Amino acid sequence: MAHRADFENLALPHMDAVYRAAVALCGQRDRAEDLVQVTFVKALTSFASYEEGTNCKAWLLQILRRTWLDELRHLRVVGASLQIDKVEVPAKDCAQEPTGLDLEAVLERFSDEQVIAALMELPDDQRLALFLTDVAGLTGDEAAEIMDVPVGTIKSRTCRARAALRESLASHAKDMGFGKNGHGTP
Amino acid sequence: MAHLSDEEFEGLIGGQAAEPAHLAECATCRQRLAEERAMAARLRAAFESVHADTALVERIRSHLRTASSVPTSVPKAPPVIGGRPRLMARVPRWGWVGLAATILLTLVAIPVSIVLTDRPVAAAETELVRIHNHNLTPGHEFYGDSDPMALAAYFKKNLGFTPAMPELGHGMKMRGCCIEHFRGSPVGSYVVDTPQGVISVIVVGDTPESFSKTQQISRNGQTLWASNFGHCNMVSIRLNGYTYCAVGNQDVPHDILADLLLRLLSSSAPPC
Repeated sequence: MAHRADFENLALPHMDAVYRAAVALCGQRDRAEDLVQVTFVKALTSFASYEEGTNCKAWLLQILRRTWLDELRHLRVVGASLQIDKVEVPAKDCAQEPTGLDLEAVLERFSDEQVIAALMELPDDQRLALFLTDVAGLTGDEAAEIMDVPVGTIKSRTCRARAALRESLASHAKDMGFGKNGHGTP
Repeated sequence: MAHLSDEEFEGLIGGQAAEPAHLAECATCRQRLAEERAMAARLRAAFESVHADTALVERIRSHLRTASSVPTSVPKAPPVIGGRPRLMARVPRWGWVGLAATILLTLVAIPVSIVLTDRPVAAAETELVRIHNHNLTPGHEFYGDSDPMALAAYFKKNLGFTPAMPELGHGMKMRGCCIEHFRGSPVGSYVVDTPQGVISVIVVGDTPESFSKTQQISRNGQTLWASNFGHCNMVSIRLNGYTYCAVGNQDVPHDILADLLLRLLSSSAPPC
């Protein structure tokens, strides 16, 4: 079936990107797998609406987010995670005092799992905005389209999210005794 | 000295803006930019170790083949299901009374715990287990109401049809219902508490034959389809143009699930 073959050629190469976004959204790998599976089925169903030559990854991520929102609406989840597109976390100044650490070296001391776990502590809206821009490499416009918000909102969410993540990891680093040079203090 | 704005930093981190002269003069902004870039790079690197495993890729390929070759839609189903409906709106009360009076389903013990095994399972069966699993997950959003008429109204409003549902009694209590997605289409599912446990009945438009790894069995002159996967047993039957899938824990044998569906069959309108 040519339709499906075209879809597979265009969409399946983005499987990792979609899966990573799903992990960033729901934080659980088994749940992320279900989310990815439903996303690709929905994408195939609506493949006729995909405009050839546009960013297929962004298109898939948009379907993923909507699928996730559908999922959330079926969950009795209280708090911000249920209202991913409605709740703005109170503004926090992005500009922070320097951490006093060699941040680049300190960050290398954390495992990938620890970094992702710290990301998962962020509010949904910030987490997804940060993922789309810093990890998925989308432009602000593309991320804004996926999240159905103005590009300025994406920038502010990304800025706050990165600041919060940096603060969180820096705090953990100090707790773990990482020194200014990124090494643990004796 | 005014520092760079957050928006200017975002432009720099995203590589969409040239570095302003201010950076050369301001150690604070240089430090912040370096930290922001380090944070972004570390986050990106962290996710580079995250990959969809081959089993998932194969499962999705298989699912796509199924999705593009098997009719999947439930007739008249709306594309998206939102929040709770206004119950009983535009629905004549006598209709639900009649419905409730014609349906009988006795359900028995089914422990709640469900864990999927690692072995490959058919996509359709995986979805049915997922729906059942969701139904039994604390916090899962489904329309909680013990009144079958209210649930019937919910289904009518959201799916455009009313599935056969159990008549209450004998210690049974309707827990509620929900709309889920099966093979990309919205389907109805309801959950009944019994003195012994809980069971999900999922109503789909697809035929049981389209589910893989099903075994055809005959009971009382009726044809049913049985399967097991993960820690679940499932028995399906066609009724009035739909397939009713009773999903429960593996402790409930197929015979019992079949009996339940046959009772549903016997108390409902003649099948198509």
